[in-house]
Amino acid sequence: MTETALRISGLSKRFDKPVITGLDLDVAAGELYALLGPNGAGKTTTLRMVTGLTRPDAGSIHIFGIDALADPLAAKAVTAWLPDEPMLYDKLSPSEYLGFVAGLWRIPPAEAAPEAERLLKWLELWESRDTRCETFSRGMKQKVALAGALIHRPRLLILDEPLTGLDAAMARAVKDALREAVNAGATVVVTTHILEVAERLADRIGIIGNGTLLAEGTLEELRAKAGSDEMTLEDAFIALTRAPQ
Amino acid sequence: MNPLMQRLRPGGFAWLVVHELRLATRNRRRRARSLWIGLILLALFVGIGIMTAIALRHVPIEGGPAFYTGMLAASALLTSFMTTQALLRSQHTLYESGDLDLLLSAPLEPRTILRAKLCGIAAGVVINFALLVLPFAIPIAILGHPGLFGIPALLAALSLASACLGLAIMIFVVALAGPRAARTLGQIIGALLGGAVFLLSQLMSGGGGGGGRRSAAMSLFNWLMAHRIGAGGISALPGRAALGDPLAAALLLGGAILLFAATGYAFGRSFLASYQKARMRLSRGRTAKGAITGHFRAGLFAAMFAKEWRLLVRDPALAFQIVLRLIYLAPIALAAFGRGGGPPLLPALAFASVLIAGQLVGSFAWLAVSGEDAPDLLNVAPIARRQVERAKLASAMAMAAPFGLVLPVAIALSSPLGALATVAMTAAGGATAGLIEIKWQKPAPRKTFRQRRSGSIVAGLLTVLSSAFFGGLAALATWMLG
Repeated sequence: MTETALRISGLSKRFDKPVITGLDLDVAAGELYALLGPNGAGKTTTLRMVTGLTRPDAGSIHIFGIDALADPLAAKAVTAWLPDEPMLYDKLSPSEYLGFVAGLWRIPPAEAAPEAERLLKWLELWESRDTRCETFSRGMKQKVALAGALIHRPRLLILDEPLTGLDAAMARAVKDALREAVNAGATVVVTTHILEVAERLADRIGIIGNGTLLAEGTLEELRAKAGSDEMTLEDAFIALTRAPQ
Repeated sequence: MNPLMQRLRPGGFAWLVVHELRLATRNRRRRARSLWIGLILLALFVGIGIMTAIALRHVPIEGGPAFYTGMLAASALLTSFMTTQALLRSQHTLYESGDLDLLLSAPLEPRTILRAKLCGIAAGVVINFALLVLPFAIPIAILGHPGLFGIPALLAALSLASACLGLAIMIFVVALAGPRAARTLGQIIGALLGGAVFLLSQLMSGGGGGGGRRSAAMSLFNWLMAHRIGAGGISALPGRAALGDPLAAALLLGGAILLFAATGYAFGRSFLASYQKARMRLSRGRTAKGAITGHFRAGLFAAMFAKEWRLLVRDPALAFQIVLRLIYLAPIALAAFGRGGGPPLLPALAFASVLIAGQLVGSFAWLAVSGEDAPDLLNVAPIARRQVERAKLASAMAMAAPFGLVLPVAIALSSPLGALATVAMTAAGGATAGLIEIKWQKPAPRKTFRQRRSGSIVAGLLTVLSSAFFGGLAALATWMLG
């Protein structure tokens, strides 16, 4: 039986108005799950609740069986979060940044240093490892942040719009990195507004709207739910998000 | 659009100046509570000014060698502070202002933009001093001493000259040291200028006793009097202008306007070049070398300390703060080591030690705790918030420790037990200052470091009070033990 990496049950959050209302979502271990939805659908809020950055009003979140609300530190230990605005220090170099992140996750230096070297080389940052991040392009910053997210070998990697503002080459590098992480056994949950990415990369796709999960499944399953096997994901997405609830 | 701007030729010098003044006033707007506190303080100032004016109504205020020399000393002190502010504002204009891209991409002469910016810098500089001086000067001038209407003219001349000087220094530093070093160098030069008269006055009174016990202006005044400077001739112009001598005021204002025109002419081109340099990537692309194992440390504190230390030493605003504190610490330390001639005042030194350490730890703690650039990274890490705060406080204290030990070492020469008590109180005062920052933390970008106190008045007040409390204890203990 496949292990569940992320289980969200009855999750609700209200700011000025309800943002998430009784969301249920399961992501199996080792899959790449793309969460889609129109602007303001609650994707980022959902992910921030999973990572412990926003407290839900109701519901539960389990990460590999760990109750993330009751034992947040244990849940955080196996999770990595990569928001669309990289969590970087401009005055630190990539090497220094990775050293700091490894310290936060208490990875012994003997393990962290070789892993950092591997990541920096793999993400083509090795030559820039001693240059402060303030000089980097957005794409390079995103890659440094991705290295930071991967250095502690998370079992669950959560990314919010990781391809925003990246050029084609950088976007390809990030997509390869995600697939590589999944191949290495990690589970990846990613939000994106680039439907082609979800179409090509994701094992399963969830469409969120009005605070709930509107539809979920593989691309074929979503097409079937939308009513035509010939549809692109874009057609299916529009059909499903515009359909009366 | 501003009604005044509507009447002016768009893109012209006057139009740009009004735009700059509009920005300067909007940048000063604070929350409603701070605005009310400011207005109440201003009203209080004006009230005291009116009472002073009534008291001085029939007292003649006349020029003379002592008055003119005093005004020269005060003008030198003001110019030093104003140039510091102008330098920092010039740095802000070149590095942080978001509008130069727009202005320089418009079909306007860079020289016109530079002159308008200079007016904005001068206005920003003069307003702080005008708020301090004019609530007294204007009521006194109205109630029987009209000659004092020369003071606003003197202030305007000094601020315009300081703005030119500040910008010239900044452009020179960018040209000489390059864009990256210019930010830090500018801050350090600003700190040195701010403390220049203070340091100078210490040197001037160095032969006499107790360098740290006299005010900077007084020492300077005594030195000027002893050397008969400021009593007459050109050096008496500030004093004469302040008393309403129209020729002196016209000469000073005219001189400042000439300097303004000359600065605009001389730096019209280099201003654009400096801005272009300043907008270049600020960090050197360091050649990557060797392994990276040195960046990985075992334990949360070690990782946190390494990160905070790097961020602090790479922060130009912090360089300014530290240099300024060291400048003020230097004369006290000199006096402590007995170079001032008289016996060191141990309790006063103990008090100063705690006060300085408290301020430093408070500043470091603000940068580490409130000025966190990636709070979400710490929030998603598997560590409790309290652990992070403890590590940050320990980092702040460790970084302030070398500065906090200077005065206790001096005290130890006369009273080892007093030194121990001072170290203990310095540590307690520093820790309390750090804890206050943690308790009243208000997340803010690190670049707002200079304005942090306006963000948390309670924290600022409590830090001063706690430092004074522990400083008092240290002074008492040193007095009893020494």
